[in-house]
Amino acid sequence: MSKVVGIDLGTTNSLVAYVRDGVPVVIRDDSGDALVPSVVSVDAAGTVFVGREAQRRLLTAPSSTVYSVKRFMGRGIDDVREDASLLPFTVSGEAGGVVRIGIAGRQFTPPEISAFVLRELRRRAEDHLREQGEFDFDVDRAVITVPAYFNDAQRTATRDAGRLAGLEVLRIVNEPTAASLAYGLDKRDRGTIAVYDLGGGTFDISILKVEDGVFQVLATNGDTHLGGDDIDDLLISQVIADVGLGVAADAAEVVQTIRKAVIQAKLDLSEADETEIRVSSMSGLQSGYRRHLTRVEFEALIRPLLERTLDPCRQALSDAGLEPKDIDEVVLVGGSTRVPLVRRLVEDLFQRKPHSDLNPDEVVALGAAVQADILVSGRREMLLLDVTPLSLGIETMGGVMSKIILRNSTIPASGREMFTTFVENQTAVDVHVLQGERELVTDCRSLARFRLRGIPPMPAGMPRIEVRFQIDANGILSVSARELRTSIEQTIEVKPSYGLTDQEVERMLIESFEHAEADMEARLLIEARNEAESVIQATEKVLRRPDFEQLAAEAFEAGERERIDRTLADAREAIASDDRDRIHATTEALNQATRHLAEIAMNRSVREALAGKNVKDV
Amino acid sequence: MTPDPIPLRAPSMLECRNCGAGVPLDDHFCGQCDRILALGRHGDYFSFLGFPRRLSLDAQTLERRFRELSRKFHPDYFYNSSPTERLASLERSSYLNDAYRTLRNPAARIEHLLAIEGLPPAKSDEGGVKVPPALLEEVFELNEELDQIRESREEGGDRETLRRRLDAAREPIDRKRVEHERQIAGLMERWDAQSEAQSPERKATLEALRERLFERKYIDNLIATIEREAAEVRPDTAPIQPTGKARAEDRS
Repeated sequence: MSKVVGIDLGTTNSLVAYVRDGVPVVIRDDSGDALVPSVVSVDAAGTVFVGREAQRRLLTAPSSTVYSVKRFMGRGIDDVREDASLLPFTVSGEAGGVVRIGIAGRQFTPPEISAFVLRELRRRAEDHLREQGEFDFDVDRAVITVPAYFNDAQRTATRDAGRLAGLEVLRIVNEPTAASLAYGLDKRDRGTIAVYDLGGGTFDISILKVEDGVFQVLATNGDTHLGGDDIDDLLISQVIADVGLGVAADAAEVVQTIRKAVIQAKLDLSEADETEIRVSSMSGLQSGYRRHLTRVEFEALIRPLLERTLDPCRQALSDAGLEPKDIDEVVLVGGSTRVPLVRRLVEDLFQRKPHSDLNPDEVVALGAAVQADILVSGRREMLLLDVTPLSLGIETMGGVMSKIILRNSTIPASGREMFTTFVENQTAVDVHVLQGERELVTDCRSLARFRLRGIPPMPAGMPRIEVRFQIDANGILSVSARELRTSIEQTIEVKPSYGLTDQEVERMLIESFEHAEADMEARLLIEARNEAESVIQATEKVLRRPDFEQLAAEAFEAGERERIDRTLADAREAIASDDRDRIHATTEALNQATRHLAEIAMNRSVREALAGKNVKDV
Repeated sequence: MTPDPIPLRAPSMLECRNCGAGVPLDDHFCGQCDRILALGRHGDYFSFLGFPRRLSLDAQTLERRFRELSRKFHPDYFYNSSPTERLASLERSSYLNDAYRTLRNPAARIEHLLAIEGLPPAKSDEGGVKVPPALLEEVFELNEELDQIRESREEGGDRETLRRRLDAAREPIDRKRVEHERQIAGLMERWDAQSEAQSPERKATLEALRERLFERKYIDNLIATIEREAAEVRPDTAPIQPTGKARAEDRS
């Protein structure tokens, strides 16, 4: 059986975890780092870089490097125009359609970019399992987390990203709920928990009741556009105002350098009372930049931003029918909860010291791994009952939203609505599906439009068409319809407002296979070069030995020296090309040509070593 | 979201789609092959949860039953099952969640009972202008007073005076609501006793309940109107946070 993993696909960082012998563990790289920066970069040759490598390219190739793509998932161009102005890559798209991100001459949708991150995590997991000596190290199924306040389009986009990465997405789980699952492992007693999750780009608050191992979400609220990124942007704006820099595309490198500097300052201020923002001199900012910043100043700057998290907290409490005093435990999740002011605000609101025993960066992935394990193992000691964060409805006469499934309904949830016709023999009815809390259609999120077809011809008002809305355990909607008089099932073509159609996903999947070949090719080329490099270096090392001339004179056959020189030159030339076969061939030739040399060099070394030993022994 | 009433001649048995065995309508799993059953045409939240059709329902008992059934139906536990069973699990879970949400809220519980007893909720006439007869007098007075307060506010009248007038106007409505709560509680008790005894007066009790519920909704709307005006009169203060309870009732 292949392995299942839990993935926290974050705005800033992503990570992967799995359950080993009943215990969830995050998968780390060789240097012990669990976080893979959610950054993707593509170079002119089409090679894709993900994670740390891509992050380094933020400074050297900002216009072909994408970060914070989670903010664009399931959104339209109108939603993100403001964000896009600060970003170094180009963002486009038709009004009312999916956002497209242009880098390195190619257009990507946000799910495609996210899929690169997911593929990297998958590779990391497979490498880890292989090293662990697992017999079957294939990773093709995953639980992926999303902010609780993500709407249907954002969830669907995340699921599409998983599919594009070749993963069967077993479940989309809400981040705060996943975190509570990770926390619940050791304390399974009853209580009411508030999970405050402030990540890189999103904020969630969830109120849960835990009893008999059932984690029941009572209410959730949040802001999918509020997080650590916004803190950074405030600081960047401050610096830019100081140095009088225009935010133009050609300043992208300077802005990225400033971003790096302010993030460091922000991290410093979680520990220290004061720090300095330091940007060294660079093209576009000759004089460099230095600014002293105290925690007091920093907090004054970010307080209004952080106070925006409090209203969603109050609303969630009110929806759950609770008061702050009813909360038994408060759990902090997300890297931004390391900011001391966040902790103070949360403590003031709930009148209780928040928990942060588990690493706030890792707890969501751990919970996702637990959920993945529950799904495949059939373990029943824990059960997660989540809610839908936003009300679901349809457009009715006069542009008014009529709610069918109310927010904070436990999922899966279903709702029904009856439709009829207005004209004689009308055979189709248009339905517009919305999500949101406001009265007017224009203030709600358009999810999809679809047309009910195949209504049997009848006098106007006669057909009784029942449309069923089903929200599954992922919080994702599906629609079905039936004419009740004839029991004829209607065909529904759903056109997602801000998502990809199934056909588009299919096409991308095929393209990604083609690109996967190209990506694989690029990887193999890098590996071939590395191997050639090491043979060349080893040869050169021998050639530089002080006793080389003596060795050659003693042991070389006729023509051997020339052969080595020639194959070495060939190999050097080959690695400068992109021809992997040639690199392999010349490397092999060099290997052959130097085999004898390696032998005699080694013999000499061994003899010397032994001789030395003998001398010493005497 | 109350489902259609059970058809008069509802089938009393379901058929297990796996082994074909006949199963009682309120069973969730096949007695013969143990598989989860597809959700048949089902209209009764009480019987689905294994409760009698009574209006007094202990919150703890309801919660316990909800958790217990969630652990049996939830799609989490059917990942490796056949598509039929997965669909059955999804439908049963959805239905369970709807049932729990409805029965948890007393007003929604009464409405559901009315629906399955064949009494659709009393609706105001087209356009929603019909005032319940029992409230005519109060509504007339209140509307007149609200109009005057609004006018005075727009002309810059003394806010403190207006606030006091609003409080005074609200008082009879609040009294009426308390009175209604008491009546509804009484009717609920009466229903429970009658339903046990299969009393022929049960229908009258339900009709009275329906009338009271309709009036209460009307009263709630009146109170909301007064609160909106109160917020106008006190523009300096933030709008009052809805209490959890009032919120929960909105959702019925």
